[in-house]
Amino acid sequence: MFGLSQPLSLLPTVLANVAQDARTIPGLNFLPFLTDSLLVAAIVVGVVFWFSRKATTNMQLVPHPAQNFFEAIIEFFYDRIEGIVGPKIALKTFPLLATLFIFILVSNWFGLIPGVGTIGWGEGSGFGVLSEVEHPLFRPPTADLNLTLGMALVVFAVWIYITVREVGVWGFLVHTFGPKGGVKGLMGLVMIVIFFFVGLVELFSILLRNVTLPMRLYGNVYAGENVLHTMSSMLDGQGPIVSFIGSVLLPLPFYFMELLVGALQAMVFTLLTAVYIKLSTDHGEEHH
Amino acid sequence: MSPILAADILTQFGVTPAKLIAQCLVFGLVYMVLKRYAFGPVLAMLEARRKRIADGEAKLEKIARDLAAAEENAKAIIEKADSEASRLIKEAGDSAGVLAERKKQDAVTEANSILAKAREAAKLEQEQLLGQLKREFGRMVVDATTRVTGKVLNSDDQERISRETATQVSL
Repeated sequence: MFGLSQPLSLLPTVLANVAQDARTIPGLNFLPFLTDSLLVAAIVVGVVFWFSRKATTNMQLVPHPAQNFFEAIIEFFYDRIEGIVGPKIALKTFPLLATLFIFILVSNWFGLIPGVGTIGWGEGSGFGVLSEVEHPLFRPPTADLNLTLGMALVVFAVWIYITVREVGVWGFLVHTFGPKGGVKGLMGLVMIVIFFFVGLVELFSILLRNVTLPMRLYGNVYAGENVLHTMSSMLDGQGPIVSFIGSVLLPLPFYFMELLVGALQAMVFTLLTAVYIKLSTDHGEEHH
Repeated sequence: MSPILAADILTQFGVTPAKLIAQCLVFGLVYMVLKRYAFGPVLAMLEARRKRIADGEAKLEKIARDLAAAEENAKAIIEKADSEASRLIKEAGDSAGVLAERKKQDAVTEANSILAKAREAAKLEQEQLLGQLKREFGRMVVDATTRVTGKVLNSDDQERISRETATQVSL
């Protein structure tokens, strides 16, 4: 515990045994960007590319199973997006939003594959056995703040582009800072001041999306990794058989929970992005 | 939140410009791959299928309309044929009536004509018989007169007696 002599830190004490940050691959330190999460992200790209090619090769009006499955996902998702942002904006934003959803979903679920987070380098405690994996080979990409922050920044850039294109800079400023309600006279002047401050708060909340979006996703997936890791190592030190059974059985219920969390977080990230776009372009939809 | 604290947090979570850019590039790659190989073809296929279904629906509606029009047309043709047939039957009936009437009239006329001819023939025959009878009766009167009187009557007397007898005999 913290003693009085220790300096006060605003950062939480790290209790989990999964590293907060993605690690570079040992032996490839000359490539500082090549981390365990980037490696998995590349594999996810490959999986997505392979499946999309499989689903869209030799497409027929009467679809084959892979095409049918992929089309069902795309159609379901397109309808949801269209319902939120409207048909006009949906055409422009669908590729980005669908990419976010599919990439986040596959990345989240990839972390549930046995071996992710448990195969790697560390202090050995026997042949092929590590007491602690210090440098995992694989890490879910969404458990790396670099990816979630990167996606949030991309989303923010796209949001700015679409907003400016749809309503213009002046339209955005009026939409954000302009008084609503059509009150005139002295009350109108008061409302101008009030809505100016409301606009400042709104602007702050918009900027804060670059923190909330990535931290929410990262926090959930990272926490899930920790839960699984903690549960699977709970009976370590109780003998090899008990430890093995414990590492299989104890995390099992949490795998189902993480499946749900993975899908939910992919949906949350994507739908929040859609809602942000809707909120800023709603004014434009009415006038165009 | 001070920049130093923000930088401290980012460092603690392992965020570095190189890793951040690398992850952004990976995400951009996924975006391009999916947009090029997945969303484009799939959305085009969905649109093609939607269009095909819409075309099918339109064709179905057209077929239904054509069918209704054909049924209407057939109904009109049947009604027209029915009416034509009724008219023809009525005309045939009327024509047959007229013909029958004409034939009847002809038959009646023919019968009357036959009757008239028969009457005429009978009358003529009667008259002939009557003439013949009168002449026979005149000859018998002449014979009787000759026998009664014992006198041979010349032809003028015979002629006169026969004429008077014929005049007096009215049958």
